[in-house]
Amino acid sequence: MTVAPQSGTGPALGGGGAGNLYDVLELILDRGLVIDVFARVSLVGIEILKVDARVVVASVDTYLRFAEACNRLDLESGRKAPSQLTDLVGEVTEGGARGRSKGALTGAVEAVTESVRRGHADDKDEEPERRHERAARRPVRHRED
Amino acid sequence: MAVYVYSITGSSHPRRLEGLGGVGDPPRELRTVEGGSLTAVVSDAPEPLRPKRRDLAAHHAVQERLMADGVVLPLRFGLTAPDDEAVRAALEERADEYRTRLRALRGCVEYHVKAAQQEESMLRQILQQSEEARRLNEEIRSGADRPDLPLALGELVAREVQVRQNALATRVVETLRPYAREERSSEPTGEDFVNVSFLVDHTDEEGFVSAERGLVDDLGEAFDVRVRGPLPAYSFV
Repeated sequence: MTVAPQSGTGPALGGGGAGNLYDVLELILDRGLVIDVFARVSLVGIEILKVDARVVVASVDTYLRFAEACNRLDLESGRKAPSQLTDLVGEVTEGGARGRSKGALTGAVEAVTESVRRGHADDKDEEPERRHERAARRPVRHRED
Repeated sequence: MAVYVYSITGSSHPRRLEGLGGVGDPPRELRTVEGGSLTAVVSDAPEPLRPKRRDLAAHHAVQERLMADGVVLPLRFGLTAPDDEAVRAALEERADEYRTRLRALRGCVEYHVKAAQQEESMLRQILQQSEEARRLNEEIRSGADRPDLPLALGELVAREVQVRQNALATRVVETLRPYAREERSSEPTGEDFVNVSFLVDHTDEEGFVSAERGLVDDLGEAFDVRVRGPLPAYSFV
């Protein structure tokens, strides 16, 4: 029945790694019952939730990164590249495709995360953050089985 | 001394908290405050209280422990009352409201779902399906010295990404909705195209999970679907 690590047994966030903590973090911090006569502690270090907003797609910067990512896309190597495209992309720049390190969206998110991390360098071992999530997300279904 | 408040339960909840510590370093001892046929799980509040990883984990662990034995209203992290008496007063004042919510949540858990599509996969699809995008892409690659082309391509692609992400989000939500009693969406962050919580009755959990697995299989390996649950119903209190 249990499909995910937050199964109600054991220390739910203890051994899960940054990615798991991050995914439940916003529930713990931003949801849950609020009793308005109680004080809410000022949560220094939690700006990361706000800063790491959805990548803004409608900006010149993003347009250019998207275009570059498309230009570098090695359409021939993709498993789903249809055969009729072969002619169109006959001059695929191999070096560009192989050397591609990150896509447009990824780049933007990392830039934001990086700046947040610098802002809290003093306690980076303690504050929950997202720095490992990028790597952890590459495997397509990273559930703990 | 200020009191940190974790959860509210009905007074018949067994509240087996043995071996569990609260927030703070060292972890503050958990105890309960009764009022209005309800019980709040509290501890002394550490000074200063900060959202350290272990504190967030402690807060969450209390909810999970309570959830194992019955229904719980999890509080948001970081709420403190001046003293036990203030907690009791708060329970009594809103007792009807809290009891109503506890009844509504009985037998239910939260599942939290996020999903992203690998960017390369999405761009590839767009290039395959949009003739205009292919044409622009090819023109740029063949070395056309026209700075307007990348902008035009990027804008077109960005628009397509939006449309596709919206459609994907709808698909995820509509696939899982039949198994949920309530749902709550919020703005996705990062590369995610969906961020939604479902309140799922125990009797529907199996259906929910198998629908979710089917969805993951259908979407294929270019998608990263993260499902967390069963969780305390943070999003439905």
